[in-house]
Amino acid sequence: MRKKILPILLTVTLALSMMACSSNTAKVKTTDTKITGADIAFGKFEKPVDVHIGMSVDPTDKTLPAGDKAGSNQYTKYLKDNYNINIIVDWTAGSGNDYNQKVSLAIASGKLPDGLVVNDRTYMTKAASSGLLYDISSLFKQYQSAQVKLIMASTEGRALENASYNGKMVSLPNITAEADGVHEMWIRKDWLDKLKLPVPKTISDIEKTAKAFVDNKVAGKTTIGIAGPSKNTFAYCTFLNSSNNMGGFDPIFSAMGATPGYWLDNGDGTVSYGTISDTTRKSLETLAKLYKEGLIDPEMGTRDNVGDPINANQVGIFFGPWWNGGYGNGDSFKNDPKANWQAYPVYNDNGQWDTHMKTTGSSYTMISKNATPDVVKAILIMNNALVRDEAKFDVSVAIGWYPLRNVMAASNEVEYERVELLKVLKGETKPEDYNKADSMYKLMYTDATKIANVIKAPFDDLNVSNFSTANFGDFQRMYSMMIGDRPFATLPINKKIYSVTYSQTATMEQKWANLKKMEDETVLKIIVGTSPISSFDQFVKDWKAQGGDQITAEVQKLLKK
Amino acid sequence: MIRNKTLGSRVFDIGNIILLGILVIFCFYPIWYTLCVSISNKAAANAGLVTFYPIGFSIEPYKEILGDKLFLNSFWISTQRTVIGTIFSLLITVLMAYPLSRSNREFKARNIFMWILVFCMLFNGGLIPWYLTIQRYHLINNIWALILGGGVPVFNVILVMNFFRNVPRDIEEAAAIDGAGPWRILFQIFIPVSIPVLATIALFISVYHWNEFFNGLVLMNTADKYPLTTYIQQLVVNIPTGSNLTPDQYKKLSLLSNRTLNAAKVFIAMLPMLIVYPFLQKYFVTGIMIGSVKE
Amino acid sequence: MNKNGIQKHYYLMLVPGMIWIIMFSIVPMFGIVMAFENFNPGLGMFHSQWVGLENFKYLFQLNDSKSVLINTLIIAVGKMVLNLLVPLVFALLLNEIISIRYKKFVQTFVYLPHFLSWVIMATIVLGIFGYSGVINTFIQMFGGHPRLFMAEPGIFRQLIIGTDVWKEFGYNAVIFLAALTTINPSLYEAAGIDGAGRWKSTLHITLPAIATTVVLLGVLSLGNVLNAGFDQVYNLYNPIVYSTGDILDTWVYRLGLQNLQYSLATAAGLLKSVVSFVLIVISYSLSYKFADYTVF
Repeated sequence: MRKKILPILLTVTLALSMMACSSNTAKVKTTDTKITGADIAFGKFEKPVDVHIGMSVDPTDKTLPAGDKAGSNQYTKYLKDNYNINIIVDWTAGSGNDYNQKVSLAIASGKLPDGLVVNDRTYMTKAASSGLLYDISSLFKQYQSAQVKLIMASTEGRALENASYNGKMVSLPNITAEADGVHEMWIRKDWLDKLKLPVPKTISDIEKTAKAFVDNKVAGKTTIGIAGPSKNTFAYCTFLNSSNNMGGFDPIFSAMGATPGYWLDNGDGTVSYGTISDTTRKSLETLAKLYKEGLIDPEMGTRDNVGDPINANQVGIFFGPWWNGGYGNGDSFKNDPKANWQAYPVYNDNGQWDTHMKTTGSSYTMISKNATPDVVKAILIMNNALVRDEAKFDVSVAIGWYPLRNVMAASNEVEYERVELLKVLKGETKPEDYNKADSMYKLMYTDATKIANVIKAPFDDLNVSNFSTANFGDFQRMYSMMIGDRPFATLPINKKIYSVTYSQTATMEQKWANLKKMEDETVLKIIVGTSPISSFDQFVKDWKAQGGDQITAEVQKLLKK
Repeated sequence: MIRNKTLGSRVFDIGNIILLGILVIFCFYPIWYTLCVSISNKAAANAGLVTFYPIGFSIEPYKEILGDKLFLNSFWISTQRTVIGTIFSLLITVLMAYPLSRSNREFKARNIFMWILVFCMLFNGGLIPWYLTIQRYHLINNIWALILGGGVPVFNVILVMNFFRNVPRDIEEAAAIDGAGPWRILFQIFIPVSIPVLATIALFISVYHWNEFFNGLVLMNTADKYPLTTYIQQLVVNIPTGSNLTPDQYKKLSLLSNRTLNAAKVFIAMLPMLIVYPFLQKYFVTGIMIGSVKE
Repeated sequence: MNKNGIQKHYYLMLVPGMIWIIMFSIVPMFGIVMAFENFNPGLGMFHSQWVGLENFKYLFQLNDSKSVLINTLIIAVGKMVLNLLVPLVFALLLNEIISIRYKKFVQTFVYLPHFLSWVIMATIVLGIFGYSGVINTFIQMFGGHPRLFMAEPGIFRQLIIGTDVWKEFGYNAVIFLAALTTINPSLYEAAGIDGAGRWKSTLHITLPAIATTVVLLGVLSLGNVLNAGFDQVYNLYNPIVYSTGDILDTWVYRLGLQNLQYSLATAAGLLKSVVSFVLIVISYSLSYKFADYTVF
């Protein structure tokens, strides 16, 4: 009896699981659907085209009207009505870690939805090297809109290079404002005024100022001189994440002549990794000193969120790019409407402003190898449409709901807008002057119509008191542009430092995670004083031995190309 | 128990009562803390000022939750998952535990199956193959993936098995002589005398199903399919790993640090377990005992 | 009914459980081949390039694997020992309480934390040990300087073990309490007549009576030597404490789902399974050999 039952049992169950395994049906290739319209970049499909996507959503979003979903809302309706594109959302996940997890699983299972936005190039290269992505080179050339072409060109080919793998374009790049990569000092001007202090310029000035903030308990007992990174952010940008580092110490490193995290061209045909330099070592010593003196947030590295103490108005100084004041710390203004955040560069001892620069963008729209040409065209059209119409959408429904939204903006967008908006304010130009359909500065016209409602005179020295917070979203944008971008738009930069590469080499794909972890740990520990500065030397040795030298050689080869 | 009235003994009693009282405070504190944060003033809570008692008073978060469809929906999914999952696991556990509680002599293949069980408890192909398998079964985004994913915790099988082993042989033998087969013996003799251990295990399983968040995150494709803990994990803990924040993402993040609302959601998530468990608690002591002790 | 006839029913009873185990445990186990491949999702599990033990070799080269293993062992063993001892002591203390009502009251509350998910507990732990948390409020009250507990590698493991014991000691005591109730009261009475005090009767009656339970729990937990608790560590750690706080499970998770090193992650997971399995086999045979005790 026993002998018979066991095999039967096994066969039945195995058969069950086999059945389940074999039910993957191959995708039927459909013939191309005709596209109508004068400009194929904005053409309408004759027959509906289904585009399957995965989407990152904001779990706290309240803007979607009741009954609407990720797959049916004003944006999907717009795509359906204008281009006959049906959006089918295969899956969603909360933005951040959870979304990355889903992307990772989708790549692992080899089953990518037709379109998927990933926020790290590593995902794109992994999918590409696994042969999961569509070579869109020729279709992109055919279907890109004039605007997209201009914006791509504004990066001098870097965007195209980033979006390609082995010379084939396999994704749509994200192109963001250059200003996102320029880190400056944000400081509470109202605190300075209260203590009758000048704006600090150098690191020693900053030290004195932070000390004055803390000693005078400007924000009470919990006053923090300088904010630091959270448990999920880092002390400085790296070549893989070269922008938007709120709460790091990038300007401090730059002012000390260090560019940690970047691959630097030594000018003699060799490259070096910025972190293992003597200047980085010295910068870390300085930061450790500031931390020890209690001038840097004692909770740095353990907070959930960089913005928490800043928004609670406990912080006098923090570092970050143009949008960090306004967009980045909105609650600070809500909690204290007089919080006069101002942005300035940090100068080195020779009075010069150096800064590291970012790559074009960090996210990519991947297109699955299994997509039909129609679907690829549809995704390209969706991108064209977003670039053209983003400013016209009714954003009371968050723009994040636009399927496969991956921003393409001219790299000098913020600087351009800042100059033009000042002209509008001063009456030199009129909002209508900017009403041009093909402009690559796609938000210019809308902003021009709004600016007068947000900012009141005098316009030469803008403070928080010049701004109206009646429409808070507009306030945030204008504050970031007019105050946050002032240094980059108006002050000369002595040295712009680019990384030799902004993506991983072959060896890095295997070894970088380990090296990076070692680096992050060493840096954080030295700053907060749990390791002595001498541990830096051991780190340099380990780093070189565990693949660093090998990787340096690979990057050096890139330089020669 | 010895009840002599020496001074030392009395001092010990008093000290013991106080010590255990302190432990009670320790253990109740998480729940109290969450409640305090949830009804406190928002600014105070966000600044981390709430410690032992609420600062200010507001039930605004709770009002907000009542209008949050996604929250209510995930609450319902968790309820379904817990109820169905518990029944399912309980049934399988009992059915496995009974044959395995037989001796080698009575059930010759017993040890083989036992080793398969232990083997499966210890070996797994890892997250990715497991995900791929569930995907092949077309269970992704299906509540059954959550229910079946809970499956048979081997530890529970062992507990029930050991409990069964301690059921007096003579009752069983008498029934067998009366002609009762294994099924009748299991359902009419073993199960009725095992209510305490079954109730205990039911509690274990339901706690697992109610608290588990990772499967929900990985196996469900859309937020309207998330169980409650996954939903909460998304709100409270989920944060980007890199430093590469865009303004859009950043704005979202600042919304995420709404501590009072989150605490209120967490508190509501705790409630069902807190309500159900006192009723099952009485089975605890009589329950696990025999399951864990083989005499 | 003859003996074989009964056995047939035993097999039938096992069918649902075995189907589940085959579908959700054994079939995914084929994924272990990934550990020996350079897994390429485009080619799939059975067509990727075979690299033999390459992944394992690389694992041992990594600095991380050593520190991760040490962390895992320290945390897991610490938890195993304390989660056996603390509940035992607690159960014995509770057993000495005369008032049944107080006993019930205490029991009701100490079980509570167990029912909370680590997602929830983590937010509370971070709130308590945070810079402006309860502990630091006290430290400052007594004139001390606030400390950053969650960012001190020197105490992170202790914190992990401590908070785990805090969460689980009540629940872990349940089994001991259960065992205590089975002790025949007449034994205590006899001991009382012989003039044994509370301490002595605890030593000579209570402890031997529940010794089997302690052994069983100890043996069953041996398989957890490499389980340091993913949910807990994942929700509490940060890069500053990686050196002492990163455990196998979190490391494997990051390898696989954040760094996309699928094969390496699978290899590490496989190593963990093998070690756990060996440990279980050893502990099983040990307890059988020396205590004549069959666990399963």
